[in-house]
Amino acid sequence: MSNQAPTPLVLGTQSFESRLILGTGKFSSVDTMIKAVNASKTQLVTVALKRFNKDRAEDDLFAPLSSLPSVTIMPNTSGARTAEEAFNAALLGRELTGSAFVKVEIHPNPHHLMPDPIETHEACKRLVKENFIVMPYMPADPVLAKRLEDLGCASVMPLGSAIGSGQGLSTQALLELIIRDSSIPVIVDAGLRAPSEAAAAMELGCDAVLVNSAIAVAANPSAMAEAFAGAVDVGLNARHAGLMSRHTRAQPSSPLTSFLSDTPQS
Amino acid sequence: MTTEAPPDWVQADPWLELAEHADDHDVDRALGQNHHTEDDFAALISPSASTRLEELALRAKSLTQQNFGNTISLFAPLYLSDYCSAGCIYCGFSSDLDKPRRRLDLAEARRELEAMKNKGFDEILLLTGDRTKFADADYLIEHTAQAAEVVSHVSVETFSMTTPEYESLAAAGCTSIALYQETYNPEVFKTTHRWGPKSNYNYRIEAPARALEAGIRSISLGVLLGLANPFSDALSTFRHARALQSRYWRSGIAISFPRIRPQLGGFSADTPVSDRQLAQIIFAFRICLPEASLTLSTREPAAYRDGLAGVGINKMSISSKTTVGGYAEPTDATGQFEISDERDIPTFCAALRERNLEPVFKSWDAVYR
Repeated sequence: MSNQAPTPLVLGTQSFESRLILGTGKFSSVDTMIKAVNASKTQLVTVALKRFNKDRAEDDLFAPLSSLPSVTIMPNTSGARTAEEAFNAALLGRELTGSAFVKVEIHPNPHHLMPDPIETHEACKRLVKENFIVMPYMPADPVLAKRLEDLGCASVMPLGSAIGSGQGLSTQALLELIIRDSSIPVIVDAGLRAPSEAAAAMELGCDAVLVNSAIAVAANPSAMAEAFAGAVDVGLNARHAGLMSRHTRAQPSSPLTSFLSDTPQS
Repeated sequence: MTTEAPPDWVQADPWLELAEHADDHDVDRALGQNHHTEDDFAALISPSASTRLEELALRAKSLTQQNFGNTISLFAPLYLSDYCSAGCIYCGFSSDLDKPRRRLDLAEARRELEAMKNKGFDEILLLTGDRTKFADADYLIEHTAQAAEVVSHVSVETFSMTTPEYESLAAAGCTSIALYQETYNPEVFKTTHRWGPKSNYNYRIEAPARALEAGIRSISLGVLLGLANPFSDALSTFRHARALQSRYWRSGIAISFPRIRPQLGGFSADTPVSDRQLAQIIFAFRICLPEASLTLSTREPAAYRDGLAGVGINKMSISSKTTVGGYAEPTDATGQFEISDERDIPTFCAALRERNLEPVFKSWDAVYR
């Protein structure tokens, strides 16, 4: 909708000014990761449960993130191959963090890490009943998106392209269908390489984007985090400003038929 | 028992011609693909590709970063027992060697595990020799269950087991199995594995499939580089990995790259593999199996390991003992082989950080067992 004033992103019971969510793996050090999180001004980060390490502080991602006052932590279930494993991981994540958020991530095939739609649906069903704020990472499937919404998920997070692939919005046509039909926030998760793709996702109608690899493996992660934050704002502003439609042929700026009148001939 | 030829699904012969005579065009084609076939792998291990090692390294580094970020996962081995019933010609545990043998009981193993945990390790590889009454399947299951109480990720490298034994091992908390064919060449296999259960080529080659069938989450394959033609063995390993991937699509595949090291038996490699050849093989695996975990152990010297960290290799052992025990209490026993990278953990981690790589001790969680 055009000329709409920016509104916060509402996920479950919480609102966020920032529409950039950060993944926290793959960084060259915990310190680099924290600096990137700060530079991005994100208010929501996701942390793999397998990277919680209470026994070795310098190896732990959770403690340093939890000390950032304006950041909400969303544990994720990366590593789970089944609904059962994801469910158990979510319970443990909530126990360790006190956060009601969970990013359901079930990708059983290590070759391409594509999310399993059947196990994801089952896990979400169980986790919604346990009062989690459930954010499923999912294939860009418009039917599955509505099925997850029907369950009571707080958002859907379809992939732009395969995790870590940097292939951008290769699922764009399907994302458009998801966005058109969705009554809950749509967050593009995975595959983004460049800030321009984050801007494109926001222009398309996404409510937020989740980025990890593109920032973590950049030569300067903090600068890239800042660039993504700017791009998300630019894309959202452009959408609010009202993007012109695409046309298949030229549209003259002075219409050819403007001299025609509806007034009956006298 | 042995076979005349390896099973079809690990045969390397049809690609050996290409591996020896690929031209620049074949290498270009292999580098230009997103999904790689045996032809591509063969081209990448060819002499022609060996003149383009820097190009291979750049591709390998980029794919390692894409799949594992700027991190290196760390683990350490714990030898539970050096009793052995096999006669592997290259191994310091071979049953004909006159050396005092020892195994850890549960209390001793717990002390070792806790000493390792205190150093920071959260992934531990448990090892034994070939099956004996002193270290049989029940012994390993008991020790796996105990190790799973101490660390998140327990791997086991031991003799080939039956499917029900692997099921029990998985139920006890074993996440991955390392099982190296050593060589896919049946003739060399026969002469280097002189007796004992391990000398059964076919039973061993089927063991990784049995482990995955039984619910073990990932399998580590490899050959002992130096035993036979390394390029043929690399091709067979690649084919073995692909065959397992297509049948067990939920399973993780890892590859290790052990080269023969000096050991008590005094065996030396018939076909030694040079530093450049090993690097080329590692790059070919990274390019053709981008998501596989590739491991380089302390068998290799520090400078070589540092050079390959993040450039193909994503997982490493450190501060390793190849004697039975040795972490909680020092031992002067002889190990399975001599290690080469003897740095302590802080020195090694500092070297990784120097290369902009984060050492990761915990990359798994017990909740997924």
